[in-house]
Amino acid sequence: MENQKFYYDNKIVKLFVLATIIWGVVGVIVGLLIALQLAFPVFNFDFEYTTFGRMRPLHTNAIIFAFVGNAIFAGVYYSLQKLLKARMFNDVLSKIHFWGWQLIIVLAAVTFALGISTSKEYAELEWPIDILITLVWVVFGWNMIGTIVKRRVQHIYAAIWWYLATFLGVAMLHVVNSLELPISLTKSYSIYAGAQDAVVQWWYGHNAVAFFLTTPFLGLMYYYLPKAANRPIYSYKLSIIHFWSLIFLYMWAGPHHLLYQALPDWAQALGVTFSIMLIAPSWGGMINGLLTLRGAWDRVRDNASLKFMVVAVTAYGMSTFEGPMMSLKFVNQLTHFTDWTIAHVHIAGMGWNAGLVFGMLYWMIPKLFRTKLFSEKLANLHFWIATLAILIYAIPLYWAAVTQWLMWHEYTAEGFLAYPNFLETLTQILPMYTVRIIGGTLFLIGFLIMVYNLFKTMKSGSVEDNELAEAPALVIQGRRNPLQETVHRWVERRGVRFSIWVFIVLAIGGAAEILPMIFIKSNIPTIESVLPYTPLELEGRDIYVSEGCHTCHSQVVRPFRWETDRYGEYSKIGEFVYDHPYQWGSRRTGPDLARAGYVGGPMYKNAAWHYNHFKNPQKMNEQSIMPKYDWFARKDVDLSMTPKKIRAMQILGVPYPEGYDEVAVDDYMKQAKEIVADLKKSNIDIEPTKEMVAMIAYMHKLGGDIAPLQLDEGTKEPAPQKEITLLSGVEDMGDADEVFTKICAACHGPSGKGIATFPDLTDAQWINGNSPSDVYYSIRNGNAVKGMIPYKDQLSDKQIIQLTSYILLKLNK
Amino acid sequence: MKIISNLLEGIEGIRIFYIFGLLLFFSLFIIILIRTLRRSNKEMDEIKKSILTDDDSNETAVS
Repeated sequence: MENQKFYYDNKIVKLFVLATIIWGVVGVIVGLLIALQLAFPVFNFDFEYTTFGRMRPLHTNAIIFAFVGNAIFAGVYYSLQKLLKARMFNDVLSKIHFWGWQLIIVLAAVTFALGISTSKEYAELEWPIDILITLVWVVFGWNMIGTIVKRRVQHIYAAIWWYLATFLGVAMLHVVNSLELPISLTKSYSIYAGAQDAVVQWWYGHNAVAFFLTTPFLGLMYYYLPKAANRPIYSYKLSIIHFWSLIFLYMWAGPHHLLYQALPDWAQALGVTFSIMLIAPSWGGMINGLLTLRGAWDRVRDNASLKFMVVAVTAYGMSTFEGPMMSLKFVNQLTHFTDWTIAHVHIAGMGWNAGLVFGMLYWMIPKLFRTKLFSEKLANLHFWIATLAILIYAIPLYWAAVTQWLMWHEYTAEGFLAYPNFLETLTQILPMYTVRIIGGTLFLIGFLIMVYNLFKTMKSGSVEDNELAEAPALVIQGRRNPLQETVHRWVERRGVRFSIWVFIVLAIGGAAEILPMIFIKSNIPTIESVLPYTPLELEGRDIYVSEGCHTCHSQVVRPFRWETDRYGEYSKIGEFVYDHPYQWGSRRTGPDLARAGYVGGPMYKNAAWHYNHFKNPQKMNEQSIMPKYDWFARKDVDLSMTPKKIRAMQILGVPYPEGYDEVAVDDYMKQAKEIVADLKKSNIDIEPTKEMVAMIAYMHKLGGDIAPLQLDEGTKEPAPQKEITLLSGVEDMGDADEVFTKICAACHGPSGKGIATFPDLTDAQWINGNSPSDVYYSIRNGNAVKGMIPYKDQLSDKQIIQLTSYILLKLNK
Repeated sequence: MKIISNLLEGIEGIRIFYIFGLLLFFSLFIIILIRTLRRSNKEMDEIKKSILTDDDSNETAVS
């Protein structure tokens, strides 16, 4: 048959390559910034727009959607045209895709810095950008499927199946998870609440890993690895089996992100089972990749591109074994909420994703620019620096995770938490955070070496924007002849039909996981005492959401003794029915706040404490790494939005009385003035409309509904009080000094002189008396309303007597 | 959506989703496994080698 002439569109590939490189550098620099912030809070710059809570989503989104996203598109646009022997379906669609995606990235960067965020991990963008993503994604799919339809080869090669699964999977995940009710251009509420929101979010979150960080990369591996090694893929049969198994199983595994949390057991078991099963198809991919290199390992020795691909596939194998292990419930106790998760995702991100991108770029750019790589030596140097960087990044974090977890659940011989002050467990791992910075810096240096090498390569050659090629036209085959063609072969040769089958397989898992949670009421038992947020609390919650507080503070207490002793009663599913969106979080860099409003509980702090803590956390706890939020005391809440928010909540099913929106602002001011009056008692003057007041109200709402207000009298033990004999021994004083520094100094200051409004223990003024017995019982019973917890639950009797002695004999001489 | 809600609420024991998922996976897996293994090796070889025959099939260009 006569050959047809056509032109490959190389210009669009070049544009995506450039975007990959530029956004990659930006993403890694922001990553380095947040690593610095965690070790040295000064890098928050005391500036609203650069706090960790706002920068962390900027880093994750820049890496996932800007760096990795553009790399996927570069890889797909290059390989798709070659594999199908056709130019992309439509140049205009290609351009809309490219510029639309860059616009989304810029909008993301700006809105995150401004604190415009839905707080749903990797889906933090607000609704107008979500719509833009949907449109651009449809353009991408349209362009890809159009190219498949007008191809000049009979068979659709395996890499393209993965590209199709990527398009369909991400489309489904993005649309379902982004369903939200807009209030204004920059604010919306998730239509799901609490546990439902958590299930939908982690169905999305887990499958964003699957369909943005795994399936497209397997597609790229199936093309670029054989090309770079100049050998066919090891087993095409294995590629078919592991393709269908992997896309089917991934969709079910989301709930493994929510183990031991407020979720029905069946959903947790579902997540665990399918996660374990995922090892098989994942390793199928890894084995297929590594065995492709059998007999070609000598090429790996000389070729940085192949080296990166080998590390990528190996990191993929490690991560896809580690992930299922982390989803075992017992292991998850350790890995969840600690830095284990952060190490895990960076092995996968820096090893598998970035590794494959680097390998692909080192192979593709010389081809695209019709030249040779500027320096293979520099590429090898990049390889060794990057590989070392991954290890220096991850090992300290695994260490940090184990250390912190051991500290979290260590008990003393008397049966008390050995480290009741959360901050101690964080301070212990800060040196590991410093080492992590070295890993990140090395990775950036390697990246910059690659940028130099690639730009020099580009400069030495030139791209033929429209590259001439020839291929015979595709002869359309009719119905399947069962004797000559298997069913799968028949499915493979029709792009649209193939896509429909992929969609069905993906939809089954998603539906089985999500629909029962949404529609079956028995899964979400309500609790009568849990009330909707007051307007003031709701505004406070919105500030909490927009600041990204969930990036450090979880809001779900798991049913372990070491968690309930530290934070209070474990969380119930019915507590979250009004939470649009949920705020359970996934990492505890700071303590859990689910019981921050439980008066008398271990987490309660009074309004004055919160005021001072928000303004300057380091003043309250010298070693705290929390950014300062002093603008809470300066900025006003936009009260014109409050009635709209109440109406939106009503639409979402929150049972506010009819017409409540009209009195919402009155209620807001009434509650705010109570907090203002409370602060006034501590000599703090603030206007009721300030963000600080709303935040304090929200903190005091958390977990308070299931724990009825207990006044301080309620926790006091009745007379007669026992006689206390003070202990003045050197050892007793030493022990007491240690406990005082760890626990008491946060409010009373390191030398006992008091901080802000918290009492000075060195002067002659005593609120509850200064006899040994008075001080002993003050410590033992605490003062719940003022935020001093009853320390009889955290300290032994001997420790309390030692503290009493320390205060009276040493501090108050 | 109410129709789906009614339908799902009527299902006795939510564990059915769990069992259904596993059964569905294993049946599909066995079918795909058997059918794939029965495909001819020659055909598979042709497909996987096809990507190496285009103009990019040379080894990576290095300086």
